[in-house]
Amino acid sequence: MAEYSKLAKGHFTSTGFAQFVNLPFQPDYVRFTNYTLANSAATSQNVISGFWDVSMGQGQAVVQGYNATPALIYDVVSNGGISTFAAGLMLQYGPLVLLGSSGGAGIAKTSGTVLTVTTAAAHGLQPGDWIIFQNLYETLTTGMQQIAGIPFQVQSAGFSSTAFQVAWLGNASNLTVIDTSATGAAGFKKILFPTLYEPGVCFPYTITVTAGVGTVTCTAPHNFKIGQEIAFRIPSVYGAQNLNELPDPLTPGKPKYFYVVSTPSATQFTFANAPVLSTAYVVDAAFTSFPGLNFAQCVAVGDVNTGGDLYSGGNLYPSPNVFTGLVAAPTINGPAIQGAYINNTSQGFIIGSGSGRVLTTADLVGAAGNIVYWEAILHDYSVN
Amino acid sequence: MRDYVVSAASQINCGGGSNGDNPTNLSPSDCSLVATTLDTNNAYKFMSGIEGMDRFGTGPIRSSYFMLSSTELQTDFDGLVGAGIFNNWNYPNNSSALPSEWGSIFNLRILTSSEAPVARGASANGQDVYYNTVLGKQAITHINQDGFSMSLIYRDPYYSGMLAQNATLAVKFAQAQALTQDTAIRNLLCTRLSGTIL
Repeated sequence: MAEYSKLAKGHFTSTGFAQFVNLPFQPDYVRFTNYTLANSAATSQNVISGFWDVSMGQGQAVVQGYNATPALIYDVVSNGGISTFAAGLMLQYGPLVLLGSSGGAGIAKTSGTVLTVTTAAAHGLQPGDWIIFQNLYETLTTGMQQIAGIPFQVQSAGFSSTAFQVAWLGNASNLTVIDTSATGAAGFKKILFPTLYEPGVCFPYTITVTAGVGTVTCTAPHNFKIGQEIAFRIPSVYGAQNLNELPDPLTPGKPKYFYVVSTPSATQFTFANAPVLSTAYVVDAAFTSFPGLNFAQCVAVGDVNTGGDLYSGGNLYPSPNVFTGLVAAPTINGPAIQGAYINNTSQGFIIGSGSGRVLTTADLVGAAGNIVYWEAILHDYSVN
Repeated sequence: MRDYVVSAASQINCGGGSNGDNPTNLSPSDCSLVATTLDTNNAYKFMSGIEGMDRFGTGPIRSSYFMLSSTELQTDFDGLVGAGIFNNWNYPNNSSALPSEWGSIFNLRILTSSEAPVARGASANGQDVYYNTVLGKQAITHINQDGFSMSLIYRDPYYSGMLAQNATLAVKFAQAQALTQDTAIRNLLCTRLSGTIL
């Protein structure tokens, strides 16, 4: 029976973190070989090959690797193994990773641009992942609930298996450090598919204006393009009200739009014709105001081909790239107008970075730079 | 289309409710605020009003925007009866009510669906967050590419495989969606007053 089976193969260079492989189907069988480690001296904890069948359950794998002797043995990865994914629906989240008294760790106010999250056990994230916070009560009346619900990207700086940093006004006076005495189920959740439809709404944590050029830094990638038309929606508690799209005090009902003139990083952009801010933009709402607190937002309202200033940049119609993680990755789309809304949906499988029952410090997906060959199959007939 | 709107349209968190979460549960003041926002932004309403009639238990209905909500919020809507909300059976004449229309509140007519977007356990306090999309007429559009309207494809087994064992059934379509006027659409985010499992 191979009438409707789907077969695919390929290879990738491991980053040391879970590897997503996009396919036009979700396989029910995956096997892989780490060519680099197979071509190296036998070393304890090296995983040479592995396979997964959907009947094992998501996130499992049977592997072959070297034990301490070193001798080649079979082992099972029961967490962080191989799984399939279907990234089509937004608003999907991972499990709550506890901080505070339940999780034995917390959130530190590191600097004016950084909050540092530490966890007692490995948090399972990797740089570029997106998260939201919840239940950030240090006491009943203090904590960091003002930032709960905002999507943040995990930064590469300060990253370890039990710590990571997110960009925010980390020295804001109204934020209270979350530590092991925090009440309730303080924690965070990974946003599984944060960039399926882009450009989406982004959440600025700093906005400054110098000589008519505004600089905006967001908590996660904005995916704007140079020449893109944008608009702000800023609640009065944050200041900078004269950036707001509406109402325009001079011409009521006329939306106020700006143009992106540069994108220095995935999370930062500048815009032209910025007015002097009516008041400074500061994200430091009082803790007690968090019920119903609205977040400042920036939204795309037009692509680069929508008039306005003449565009003199590069190709207007490339296949779009999206900052899903720390680097822009190609989407499955064909040529598109830059800055226009696109779908970034995908499906396929993931080779995780879990370890085995015996090979307890092994890494399924190998170390950064390892070449991994894979095969994926969707069978058209399964007996059990 | 649903997830696109969730991603692209700006958001208003409900703040008038009493459950102490962010967003709070839906309140009349939140509905009033979002309708006022769209009015201030010169959005076009979908429905003209319904004139009051001499019938028990009815009242006039204002001209309205549409609010697309989850069926799971109907317990909260029921709790707002008497606080400005009308079930469609309290309309003077419900001939203009759509099949999915639950009722109206101020300048919003509420359409419910079990497929409405819900972010499970995503609020500040860990409750489900409901995306109520409130929109004016000029807010969004949907484009089907010429020659690629949705088609349902069926090929019988004789054409689908060498052994004529299996048939093929498929749907294909090419479409695009866009916000045509971002000021005429808002996602009003709320939680439920009670966390009771439905």
